[in-house]
Amino acid sequence: MSELLLDRPAWYVAGPLIGLTVLGLLVCINRRLGVVGGFSAVVERLTGRTGELGWRGAFLLGVVGGGLLFALLTGGFGRSGGYGWLSRTLTGDAAVLIGPVLVGAGVLIGFGGKTAGGCTSGNGLSGTAFGSPASYVAFASFMATAIGVSFAIEALL
Amino acid sequence: MRAAAAGFGVAFGFLLSWAQATDPDRIRAMLLLEDPYLYLMLGSAVVVASVGVRLLRRRRARALVTGERLTWDTVRPARRHVVGSVVFGTGWAIADACPGPIAAQVGQGFPWSVFTLVGVGLGVWLALRRPFTRAVLPGPAWGTAGQDDGRGSAAERGATVAGDG
Repeated sequence: MSELLLDRPAWYVAGPLIGLTVLGLLVCINRRLGVVGGFSAVVERLTGRTGELGWRGAFLLGVVGGGLLFALLTGGFGRSGGYGWLSRTLTGDAAVLIGPVLVGAGVLIGFGGKTAGGCTSGNGLSGTAFGSPASYVAFASFMATAIGVSFAIEALL
Repeated sequence: MRAAAAGFGVAFGFLLSWAQATDPDRIRAMLLLEDPYLYLMLGSAVVVASVGVRLLRRRRARALVTGERLTWDTVRPARRHVVGSVVFGTGWAIADACPGPIAAQVGQGFPWSVFTLVGVGLGVWLALRRPFTRAVLPGPAWGTAGQDDGRGSAAERGATVAGDG
């Protein structure tokens, strides 16, 4: 079991299964799959805007649980030491900056995703599958930006 | 309804983890156009979901759990979709993770991802504060489509695409 999970599946296996997840959520409860909505549900609950987490909060907790399940099956819980380019670039004393940089990036992700009405899953995956013009615009905007910023970071390193 | 949502959440988080979309270096390779895997995965997911959505529309299907007729609104683009996505894309490229993978990373026990997770919560909280959002994004960016975005009401009423993802 864990042998099979250590290599990523072919894209034509993983992609359609993710597409079926979007369809399954629609067919079962008539809702659009999206992760920023789950974060929003948790924040709305914590700040007293709503009294319950609702389906969006339950979905987000499920995503965390899915990561946990995968880690338990592969025996890899908490094994990761570094974090991508940030740990390779911010070494020694500068390593204290990794946390604040990730918090700052998270703020941009949360604020931007909420403002745009969806992230890679809500707009990029579900919204485009549903044929929503706003999601096409959002998808093109965040892909172009993320690719551009990644090349800019690479050029500066 | 919440049990079904949680179940699909588990499936989604598991698939993102298995596809290694939770590995920041994989996302980096995607954004530097070095590895087509995640584009092919996302593209094939969209194809499968959109074909399914069109078949369901033709059959006028009803939701299995709630019994209501399946609906999904389409939203006209407004400035907030561009501005929000540019801000989002910048954060995505720095952290090399977007909200789904961040949640799954925390589940996998990545210590660093707790920082990103807290940041996303803070960012969503800022976006929910309408005076702040209006100060950052003045003008007609808040079109009618997004009027009650952020209150969760659109999503709860079933106007799912107008809600938030």
